[in-house]
Amino acid sequence: MMLQPLLGSENAERVLIFILARDEGYATEIARFFETDLSGIQNQLEKFETGGILVSRSAGRTRLYTFNPRYPFLKELTSLLEKAFSFYPEEIREQLRLNRRRPRRRGKPL
Amino acid sequence: MKSIQEMTQAELCAFVQSHLSEAGIKVVLSGGASVSIYSDNKYVSHDLDLVNLYSVRRRALKEAMTQIGFSEVGRYYKHPDSPFLVEFPPGPLAIGAEPVKQVNEIKLSTGILRVISPTDCVKDRLAGYYHWGDQQCLVQAILVAQHHPIDIQEVQRWSEAEGNLTEFEHIRAKLFSDRRQI
Repeated sequence: MMLQPLLGSENAERVLIFILARDEGYATEIARFFETDLSGIQNQLEKFETGGILVSRSAGRTRLYTFNPRYPFLKELTSLLEKAFSFYPEEIREQLRLNRRRPRRRGKPL
Repeated sequence: MKSIQEMTQAELCAFVQSHLSEAGIKVVLSGGASVSIYSDNKYVSHDLDLVNLYSVRRRALKEAMTQIGFSEVGRYYKHPDSPFLVEFPPGPLAIGAEPVKQVNEIKLSTGILRVISPTDCVKDRLAGYYHWGDQQCLVQAILVAQHHPIDIQEVQRWSEAEGNLTEFEHIRAKLFSDRRQI
């Protein structure tokens, strides 16, 4: 973790870095990616939404979070996160960038 | 003083703001309710977005709101005698990436209403239109521009700073036709 001393928690950094890398994210996939407790990620997402940093929308039964384009410090925040992200191990950066959003037919073998 | 039941939206807002101010909590009206006020209620919003300028803690807000009969319901505050819901979005008070520099103060019988200016109100609504393509936000911006003098140059400058000059040029005629200008 690069920004934990500044952000105050590992989960805060996990959530922001995940959304920076993938543009959007939901609690289960973030928790799964970082192999951490779901409720901690959910709480952090809610805190960032209450603070105006993230916004969410429903997609079926999932609540998808993105950066709030109206957050006044968004440009500066994402600059900082991008810098921190560049210090992450290449392996994690690649895994975070791997992001299948295009459709996959149900039942199709991987 | 009027009872809460008799208060208009602006009067209720001024009442709440003045009470909070006495408790050292500074909030400014923004969002849809400012559109209601600047469009002479051509647009009606039942939400009062009082931006919490200095991120006062939730407990302090709850205590102050409880003193005047409001109760917390989720992220809103509700009064049994009023249809309006009060919300405290987090500060800073900003339109896009820029801080709000001018806050209008309007003296009402129930207190002092502190609200963003009509020009900032138009910018605030346009931010919703630019970022999310929200057509209702555009309609609201037009309503405000039709009812109040707006600094067009400032809206254009801000739109450009936000990276939305092209969008502004597309809606400029719509926004400022049949309007009062500064």
